[in-house]
Amino acid sequence: MKYQVNSSEATAFLRKIIEERVDEKGLEWINLQETTLRDNFQLRSFYLTFSTAPRFIKKNSLSFTKEERIRAEKLRRGFQPQHWDLLQCVRTYFLVMLPGDEEENFIKNITRLFETADLDEQVAMYGALPLLTFPTALITRTREGLRTNITDVFDAIVLDNPYPADFLGQDAWNQMLLKAVFMQRPLYRIYNADERVNPELAKMLVDFAHERWAASRDVLPELWRFIAPYLEDGYFSDIKKVVKGKPLEKQAGLLACNMSAKPEAQQLLNKYPEVKEDIGSGRLNWETIGKENETKQKV
Amino acid sequence: MYIDPHIHVSSRTTDDYEAMRKAGIVAIIEPAFWLGQPRTKVGSFQDYFNSLVGWERFRASQFGIKHYCTIGLNSKEANSEALAEEVMDLLPLYVGKEGVVAVGEIGYDDQTKAEDKYYRLQLELAKEVNLPVMIHTPHRDKKRGTIKSMEVSREHGLDPSMVVVDHNNEETVKEVLDRGFWAAFTIYPHTKMGSERMVEIVRKYGAERIIVDSAADWGISDPLAVPKTAKLMKDQGISEEDIHLVCYQNALTAYGQSGQMNENDWLNPEPVDQRKKLSGNTILRGGQHPKIEGDTSIKGVEN
Repeated sequence: MKYQVNSSEATAFLRKIIEERVDEKGLEWINLQETTLRDNFQLRSFYLTFSTAPRFIKKNSLSFTKEERIRAEKLRRGFQPQHWDLLQCVRTYFLVMLPGDEEENFIKNITRLFETADLDEQVAMYGALPLLTFPTALITRTREGLRTNITDVFDAIVLDNPYPADFLGQDAWNQMLLKAVFMQRPLYRIYNADERVNPELAKMLVDFAHERWAASRDVLPELWRFIAPYLEDGYFSDIKKVVKGKPLEKQAGLLACNMSAKPEAQQLLNKYPEVKEDIGSGRLNWETIGKENETKQKV
Repeated sequence: MYIDPHIHVSSRTTDDYEAMRKAGIVAIIEPAFWLGQPRTKVGSFQDYFNSLVGWERFRASQFGIKHYCTIGLNSKEANSEALAEEVMDLLPLYVGKEGVVAVGEIGYDDQTKAEDKYYRLQLELAKEVNLPVMIHTPHRDKKRGTIKSMEVSREHGLDPSMVVVDHNNEETVKEVLDRGFWAAFTIYPHTKMGSERMVEIVRKYGAERIIVDSAADWGISDPLAVPKTAKLMKDQGISEEDIHLVCYQNALTAYGQSGQMNENDWLNPEPVDQRKKLSGNTILRGGQHPKIEGDTSIKGVEN
């Protein structure tokens, strides 16, 4: 696979987002860099453009309109740059300009950039994964990125990013999800996570939950979302325990029951008609649980 | 509030970071230097520079300390010429990065020809990207080496106001100040400068263009040297204003010329987005609580 996205459409999309937000001096700088890069592409000037961008572009949040969100989704399924800042957007604009005609050369250049990137540069590069050419050749790099202990870098790959669900194999996907649980990241922001559930992952997550319980520690309530499809596999006793826990855990346990076809699960849910009603009306779902847990972590 | 404008925190523990924050250190500069033993591959330099602009910056932030760095090829390792050439090719990738406040620490060690060559090349690089320079002055033949560093930098057209000469002592300070350079002092108990001597220097020369740092590293050194020296100055009657200059403001003025170091970075951190608010204390193991204010979420870490 060579392209995930039409690169001239991606450029036009980012350009419009940037033009509507950047100040005059910043735009002037962007235009100057772009002319230089397009007229005579030199790797050294590309790297300098990429690294000195913060001198000219602010890290303002982008705050997208609804229409812009729709355009992003249309450009590439699951693409969510509304979570980026302006600097990241500008860096991505330049990344898309990196010559991508020939795989070996492209991977060599981007690897050099990855290997010398500072923190924010890494965030921008991993965030740009859904737009880059030769996406399958970037899997190894992505797995390397997932080994980070720096939360912002991890988040750039894992949250609001369609690349992992589209390209990671099951082992890498499972490790990513388990680490996201371990680092207590908001799982509802992992794109298409429900479509990538599998029994192996459920087993790993339940084992992890048992370890946490053994150490008298809390378990991330969102974890049970990925166990729900496998309650037949002997995990129902765990769910019963979760439902007896703190309010958020109870809600998570019952949401898992709601997702399950297992009759005992439905019976358990029926014991809590008010929660069942909240689920039915959409007031309670995995996103509300995830968001509430985020708020709790911040306090 | 203090700034330690020269400290190799990569070699320090989290206890040090905690103590530094508690003692009032809000920002630090970690200069690229050698690691106590020579590197043999350019990749080791690359990973070291990566750590200065990435991991260590992140680690410091976990303790509420704003971390900056300088990038350069140090004088000791400049003597390994084949390697030095490769490192020189690497430097342009790093000097333009956010939070890189100077080219440094560069200068002379044994004052060899190779040291001279790479010192000059890096002065040119600093000029090209409009960054200040941090000069490491030699331990041996110090006075001559210090004067030579300054003369060569003038020869390359650098304004003394863009050059910080570090590791001064009673013998070098006058030459440095008279020439209009910044004079930094490293409070490093056994080899460089002690706090008591530092007090006397400020008494004698005043606070203008004088900077105090710890250069704490892997050797016997003290990451609290700046706040401790400040306290001693206070006890011995140096004015608050002068203490503020030598332990905070002068470093900020000198390295702020890079455009990469701004008081607002720690006084009014830019509004953080949802993701950054949650960005976490992965230095902490699951269940540990951070002792600092600010980020309060509890995170796990993998080693």
